[in-house]
Amino acid sequence: MEAPITRGVKPAEILATLRRVDGYYLCNSERDVSQSDFKNRLMPMTSVRVAPYREAAGFFSVEVSGGASVHVDLIRRQVNPFERLRIVRQAMPRTLLQTVCRGASLFGYRHYPENVIRLVVQEFAGYVDVWRVYDFLNHVPNMIPVFEEVQRAQRLLMPSICFSTGQEHTDDYYVAKVREILAATGPDVIISIKNYAGLGTPKRIGQLVEALCRAFPDIILHYHGCNTDGNDIGRMSAAVRAGVKLCDVSDHGYGSIYGQAPALTLIQALEDYNKQAAGVDIQALIKSSDLLRRERKIYESFESPFRGHDPTVARYKLTGGAVGSAFEQADKGGFLDRMPQILEEMGRVQVELGNWWSVTPGSQILWTTAVNNVLHGRYEQPSLDLKNLLLGRYGPLPFYEPEDWIYEKVLEYQRYDGKKWPQILDEERGLVKPADPDLKQERHRLEAELGRPASLEDLALYLLFPFDATSYFKFEAQYGKTWLLPPEVWFHRGGFKDGERITFTDEHGVPHYIEVISTRREGGSVLTNLVVDHGFQTLSVQVEGGDKQPIS
Amino acid sequence: MKRKFDKILIANRGEIAVRIMRSAQELGIKAVAIYEETDKDAFHIMRADEAVCVGPGPRKDYLNIGKLIDAARQTGAQAIHPGYGFLAENPDFPEACTEAGLVFIGPPPEVIRNLGSKVIARKIALETGIPVIPATTNLDQGPPGARQALDFAARNGYPLMIKAVSGGGGRGIRQVDNEKELLAGLQRSRSEALMSFGDDSIYLEKHVHRPRHVDVQILADNHGNVLHLGTRNCSIQRRHQKLIEIAPGGLEPALTAEICATAVKAARAARYLSAGTVEFLVDPDGAFYFLEVNTRLQVEHTVTEVLTGIDIVREQLLIAMGEPISFTQDQVVERGFAIELRINAEDPKNNFLASPGLLRVYQSPGGPGVRLDGAIYQGYEITPFYDSMMVKLTVYGFTWREAVDRMARALRGFLFIGVKTTIPYFLQIVTEPDFIAMRLDTSYIDEHPHLLDYREMDREVDKIARLIAEINAYEKNPYAQ
Repeated sequence: MEAPITRGVKPAEILATLRRVDGYYLCNSERDVSQSDFKNRLMPMTSVRVAPYREAAGFFSVEVSGGASVHVDLIRRQVNPFERLRIVRQAMPRTLLQTVCRGASLFGYRHYPENVIRLVVQEFAGYVDVWRVYDFLNHVPNMIPVFEEVQRAQRLLMPSICFSTGQEHTDDYYVAKVREILAATGPDVIISIKNYAGLGTPKRIGQLVEALCRAFPDIILHYHGCNTDGNDIGRMSAAVRAGVKLCDVSDHGYGSIYGQAPALTLIQALEDYNKQAAGVDIQALIKSSDLLRRERKIYESFESPFRGHDPTVARYKLTGGAVGSAFEQADKGGFLDRMPQILEEMGRVQVELGNWWSVTPGSQILWTTAVNNVLHGRYEQPSLDLKNLLLGRYGPLPFYEPEDWIYEKVLEYQRYDGKKWPQILDEERGLVKPADPDLKQERHRLEAELGRPASLEDLALYLLFPFDATSYFKFEAQYGKTWLLPPEVWFHRGGFKDGERITFTDEHGVPHYIEVISTRREGGSVLTNLVVDHGFQTLSVQVEGGDKQPIS
Repeated sequence: MKRKFDKILIANRGEIAVRIMRSAQELGIKAVAIYEETDKDAFHIMRADEAVCVGPGPRKDYLNIGKLIDAARQTGAQAIHPGYGFLAENPDFPEACTEAGLVFIGPPPEVIRNLGSKVIARKIALETGIPVIPATTNLDQGPPGARQALDFAARNGYPLMIKAVSGGGGRGIRQVDNEKELLAGLQRSRSEALMSFGDDSIYLEKHVHRPRHVDVQILADNHGNVLHLGTRNCSIQRRHQKLIEIAPGGLEPALTAEICATAVKAARAARYLSAGTVEFLVDPDGAFYFLEVNTRLQVEHTVTEVLTGIDIVREQLLIAMGEPISFTQDQVVERGFAIELRINAEDPKNNFLASPGLLRVYQSPGGPGVRLDGAIYQGYEITPFYDSMMVKLTVYGFTWREAVDRMARALRGFLFIGVKTTIPYFLQIVTEPDFIAMRLDTSYIDEHPHLLDYREMDREVDKIARLIAEINAYEKNPYAQ
């Protein structure tokens, strides 16, 4: 039995262990499950509650950051993404923390300037041990600055190849892509197969893994799948049997449909093949899920209204992390009943635009295009992002180009200078790197906005999401560290009953309580009488008109 | 003549009214509070044995001698304690008391009159051989006054201070650094003095460089006893207003003895009675100059009380009843260090502008060595009409460092929600290296402008309570959707 891999073990030793091990390691993909199945609402205190069991379970890593989670931290969970990492690290000091980074798009939706990319990675590398990095066009140059900063910080680098299906997606293509990555990073990395939508049969995945292992005998492979079609256990089993050493899995008490398949199911499936999950404590896995089953009720309202596996994903290929939000958007936009048509259109658009990978930010481009096509006519209202894609702003399309009529529709849309698409393409095509901003000036701007000094972490968040980060900082200044509240209080529905007591423990272990004594409505105000740590307070909130007003 | 009081009227409000009531009630004397209608929710009314509304206010009725005398008569009070501020240094008040057959708990009117005039006070000091800062007499009006001023400047050099004869409490003082400023300042100071004190008399004084401001607390009775209760260092001032007071004054023992003896001499020469304070400036070489005598109880008397264990107000009451001071000079012992500061409803970052409002939450510190003299309570509406002082915090420590650490601890133990306070500014001071090293002179505040660079810190739990109130009001978390 290999010694467990824990924080503090050097990357080189970890890689050596992975190369040696006969079995496989499990990576808990809490972040992706939260994003795919619970609209990214999993609160830090739930992570903290389950942390002791997860720590004991012997995961290689737990993915708690990255993807859309950083943005959602700021706009929905109201927690500083760095603080969330610090909290989880404190609760789980031994386990490696993992993130997923969208290459030049970092944790956002468009390419960032290079100095921003480097700063953001440097700051997050202070907390994150394992960096899963991908580009939705598999365009390796888009990932290079992130690779460099992760390696400079001596963190584990996990460059990804996004995987999809279709005649272009051959083993040769992926082998060549891995070769290109390794040429940039050197051999001391883990290559991740990012099967973002859970595509392909187990057999196909097994073949791909075999091809990669044949081409690169020392390669360490990681598999990140998605259980939308309900068959990711099959794919993961095939992958491990063919040579994958790490798999992203969920807790069976918490995983649902669009995230990853359960760890325990995979373990049981692979036992027949004499493949052992290294360092795993089954009892701790079960306890994690027991706790999360209870906790799950808190997040029920964020689960997708469409529960049930969907094998038709093989056609529309939308990444699991985007399916939940797609349904939510359709629901809010009043076109939920047209979803089957939209998903069908997604499949068509996918083929028309080049059959590349429908993962962020490409998934948003495909989704928006499909929705617009259905609602407004095919390519009649193309988005700016689609236009940028066709102009090559994100990098070259990997396999083939769309037909001319699509170029015409997209590039000439709202173009008032009379230029035709071939000329536009000729003059404007190409990857345009955004200019580096003056970071000192940006920092001063942020400090002026906040009226206080800004740390480099603050600056990194501001550069990622200027408006949302600033709003968050202001929220935090007014309401404090609200992540300390139990999640059931954060998501509380209805007013509190008289005598209802809210208890929580602060970061220093000091318990606090807030008791709601009574509530009185006076005109447009609600007066809440509270006892806060033995002191009586009356707080007045203006609710006239029902809109959110600042507290008086 | 000895006369036991059964009841006294306290012609004041706020913390000092409560402070006086405490000593009176300990002596079995009933305390009558007065209040204006605009001050009807004040804490001092609730602590009194009786209360009389003296008028609609604000402020003018507290200054109406006739109404106060009537209130004393109406309630059967035998004496009036003026506290500080308001009428405390107005000689007409003790005169009116005497005429009404009431005892004024303080010095006789002629003493207040003489010592209230800086010029007469200087004259008394000079006649007694007490060193004073070189200064002019009252300057004449117009060009002759300007000539006098220029002559004085030629003899003593710059900088100089232009002072209002009737000024006090740091008001009516202007520093001038050259002839141009001097000539411009004379007229401006006259106008300001007239507006503020109803008297445009001014004089010039030599500026003492980086002095310490040292007070000596004195007590004098009708039996010929004049005692001192040691020194206080009041050097930390903002625009000549004291911010923090410390006891003892921090002088060498020999210098302390000399300055205290001088203060007693000055009090004797002025035929002083009751409690008072003789103020001095001490230059870096140890030379000291008489400044003035405050013929009243001072805000900062608490540091002396904490350090000596003597209740100064009790002694004032006993003296007014004809008793001798309860102890001898030899029995006065100072031990350790005391620091006092004023927690005001003010925004230091906004030029210390008053911050009136509803005090939604108030929690105070306690524990060893912490004394609070306050006049507020949770739910009290701090009005814009009166002094913004909410509570006076005095701490004691056996060592200076202990006192400083205790002050920081006590400041952090307050919880005010609803108004801005001077606490964050004071916290900056008590954690500042020069303060901790006791490097204190009157330039301290000007030379430490960075003390205003603080962030106001709410308790985390109170911030979270705001969110709970919002969830309750909106019946959902508006930030979690």
